[in-house]
Amino acid sequence: MAEFKSNAIDCGVVEAVQTRAFDVAVIGGGPAGMAAALAAHKAGARVAIVEREQHLGGILRQCIHPGFGLSHFKQELTGPEYAQRFIDKVHATDIALFLNSMVLGIDSGEPAEDTAVHTVTLMSPAGMLQLTGRAVVLAMGCRERTRSEIKIPGSRPAGVFTAGLAQRYINIENLKPGSRAVILGSGDIGLIMARRCTLEGISVEGVYELMPYANGLRRNVKNCLDDFGVPLHLSTTVTRVIGHDRLEAVEVSQVDERLAPIPGTERIIPCDTLLLSVGLIPENELSVAAGVELDPRTRGAVVDQSLQTGVPGIFACGNVLHVHDLADNVTTESERAGAAAAAYALGTGAGAVPDCELTVSPAGIAGYALPGRITAVALTKLNFRVRRPVDAARVRILAGGVELFAGKVRPFKPSVMESFPLPAKVIKQALDLGASKIVLSVDPIEEA
Amino acid sequence: MTETFDIAIVGAGITGCAIARQLARFDLSICVVEAANDIALGASKANGGLVHAGYDPTPGTVKAQVNARGCELYGTWAQELGFLFCRTGSMVLGFNDEDRAHLEQLRRNGYVNGVPEQSIVGPDRIHELEPRASADATCALWCPSTGFVDPFEVAIAALENAIANGATFMRSATVEAIEVASSGDDARFTLATPAGNVRCRYLINAAGNGAADISHMAGAEEFQMVWRQGNIVVLDKEPRTLMPLYPVPTPVSKGVIVTGTVHGNTVITATAAVREPGDTQTYASDVNALLTGAHKLVPDLDTRRVVRAFAGGRPVIQGTNDFFIGQSAVVPGLFQAAGIQSPGVASAPAIAERMELVMREAGVELHERADWNPIRREPDDFDRAPLARKEELIESDPAWGQIVCRCETVPEAEIVAAIRRQPGAVSVEGVKRRCRAGMGRCQSGFCQSRLVTILARELGCDPSEVLLEDAGSWLVEGPLKGVR
Repeated sequence: MAEFKSNAIDCGVVEAVQTRAFDVAVIGGGPAGMAAALAAHKAGARVAIVEREQHLGGILRQCIHPGFGLSHFKQELTGPEYAQRFIDKVHATDIALFLNSMVLGIDSGEPAEDTAVHTVTLMSPAGMLQLTGRAVVLAMGCRERTRSEIKIPGSRPAGVFTAGLAQRYINIENLKPGSRAVILGSGDIGLIMARRCTLEGISVEGVYELMPYANGLRRNVKNCLDDFGVPLHLSTTVTRVIGHDRLEAVEVSQVDERLAPIPGTERIIPCDTLLLSVGLIPENELSVAAGVELDPRTRGAVVDQSLQTGVPGIFACGNVLHVHDLADNVTTESERAGAAAAAYALGTGAGAVPDCELTVSPAGIAGYALPGRITAVALTKLNFRVRRPVDAARVRILAGGVELFAGKVRPFKPSVMESFPLPAKVIKQALDLGASKIVLSVDPIEEA
Repeated sequence: MTETFDIAIVGAGITGCAIARQLARFDLSICVVEAANDIALGASKANGGLVHAGYDPTPGTVKAQVNARGCELYGTWAQELGFLFCRTGSMVLGFNDEDRAHLEQLRRNGYVNGVPEQSIVGPDRIHELEPRASADATCALWCPSTGFVDPFEVAIAALENAIANGATFMRSATVEAIEVASSGDDARFTLATPAGNVRCRYLINAAGNGAADISHMAGAEEFQMVWRQGNIVVLDKEPRTLMPLYPVPTPVSKGVIVTGTVHGNTVITATAAVREPGDTQTYASDVNALLTGAHKLVPDLDTRRVVRAFAGGRPVIQGTNDFFIGQSAVVPGLFQAAGIQSPGVASAPAIAERMELVMREAGVELHERADWNPIRREPDDFDRAPLARKEELIESDPAWGQIVCRCETVPEAEIVAAIRRQPGAVSVEGVKRRCRAGMGRCQSGFCQSRLVTILARELGCDPSEVLLEDAGSWLVEGPLKGVR
């Protein structure tokens, strides 16, 4: 059988490429990368940021709506304003910036060696370059799920856009993608684009949502749909794309409890534009190539409490780790990753020798639990998201079949990423029980 | 405006382009007339890219004569024309004794059709050849000559080579009428198209699904075409490219096949259902049938990672399952390559070779040119280039270091080269077919607006005039209100 050329770049063997040494190399210059880089720099590390675009800021550059900074700055900012605060801070430091630079691969050398450094190979219009660092922070963000991934049948005309692409056309390129739009998916980007289109004179026929509830934040449903009279159709999805050259219409159908289209409920909605806001996927092709193990639930890396992946010295944060709903949360998480990466690189961190080895698994209606591993007996921030909305449920922490903790009964929504502080004493209790696994369970209360 | 040529070929699909390439070595003027605005926009872009070995066609048919020969020629064609071709071999998997009997039959067909080195193998060998093949398979027809190509790349490379040797390409030139003068005339055929009229002495019909219309317009054979539609699914790249795995075929099709591609993706191809002519819609039932069928062959296939689903129609002549390659029995000087359904891609080089032979036999004088160049230099593919070549390219022009498509690592310079090639890309999809920008997992979510900017700049038009594919497929309406 013929041998195939691998797409992976053999980074180690090239000698002609110039190399620059750092303590921490951060991949991605969006909100996650900037926060991680600043935190690592503050901890005394020599830091580099590698960014594909010509500018720092990532996707925030096109998020011109307000709603950013409420928790981090106690002030409502637009995306570009929020980003600019961090861009200014980065510029005020000696953090090295490699803009317009695409990372081709991360080579981690021999993982067993204490002095192991990671080599990041990147290219830009200036040529190829290698950065070395004892620590690497993955902060590449996510991409939008496409029409193909959700398998919408029909033809393949122009006019079917992911919501983020339409946002780029409108907010960055000053171009109008069409006149009459249907939006599939009530995620936050879909809701924000419904308002944005309306403001730009694009008539929005409606937002259609497969689930029986809105997927975005409550405030966005109100501010973006209700205030502009855009109808939200729940338990309804697009079942056919119609039009040969440019989109002419979509067929929508109601769905049953198993989310299958109900025959006979089809309606044809004339439109020239279909925007898809049907989920985000962490962009981990680079991580996988570097040997990082992913959690099939988050599609991000499996990390420990310091946000370190299974490859020593490689950390992950922001939307490449798990999809967040607020940029402020990305910032907070990424500051932790940056500080931990610096501590690892400089050898100042605790936990060089793990205290323990516990895995964390979700149960009940919890869709995932992060971190997936705990290696230190210390207060640990657990993140999770529920799979469906409930009015009354409680968080329970279990180990070896024993309930170690039960939270207050309260409502939970899939649109909100939850954060739960796991006390050190609960981890200690789990270890005392001889458990190797902690279960984070979110259990609905039936009679409540 | 009327231009006169020795030969006009109607249709720039893989068949027409291969014939143009074959005939460009002779001292004849050639024009390829295409209804669409680019190469390979019909059945040639909507297939699995498999170069079938040739055990499938019934011995004695035209298909049987050109399939194995086409498969054989691909090695030379790939070298000369600089396109990617992986000859991996393939297996038809059998799961029981009845299947085994079918495999024996296929092997006998293959033997008669000239397929080399086939053998029937058992479970151990199956898993040695393709570890991901179903463990339930008890036997397989192992066929080392099978391979796969990127079908657009083959058509594009063949036409680029023909053009480099002097052929002309007319795009957006739907043939609306054909006038046939009395025989003896030096240029007896006149094709009327919106892009101008074309007169020619010999007419070659390679119009794919439009072949019946062309034949009818010329007053020749009345073919009835059937639109045997197929859905196809492309999955994301795998660490190791899969060998083509086939089920035991049905009477109408080869069944749902799983195969790797030259770029490391996995393709599941294809369903077969007679539908309305022109229907290129995908159907939920077809896509589900593909995913189910694929799981039978490769149980661990991650079918969530769909990059693209698409559909096309196989040009099938009603009443025969065979190709028609020959001079019209009614209109001398008209040569037809009609009904080129599956295995059209696999057969293309041999169809071209056979067309040359048919024309010679019909008395067409073919004199080889002294300056014919069989080589088409393969354009630089940045993603596949070794690191040293990447550096060289960036040094030659910084635009080689400006990545536009992140999923497939396509820099701006490669996109510009795709637009400037002869014939070059004139649409976003045309760019994609030439250099893969936008073909990856994000399906141009990140790069489409940049592609529009580059195309508008290179073609000297407004972004609102940039097309996704053919006429009418505009991507943006124009500037926003208040922004001029």
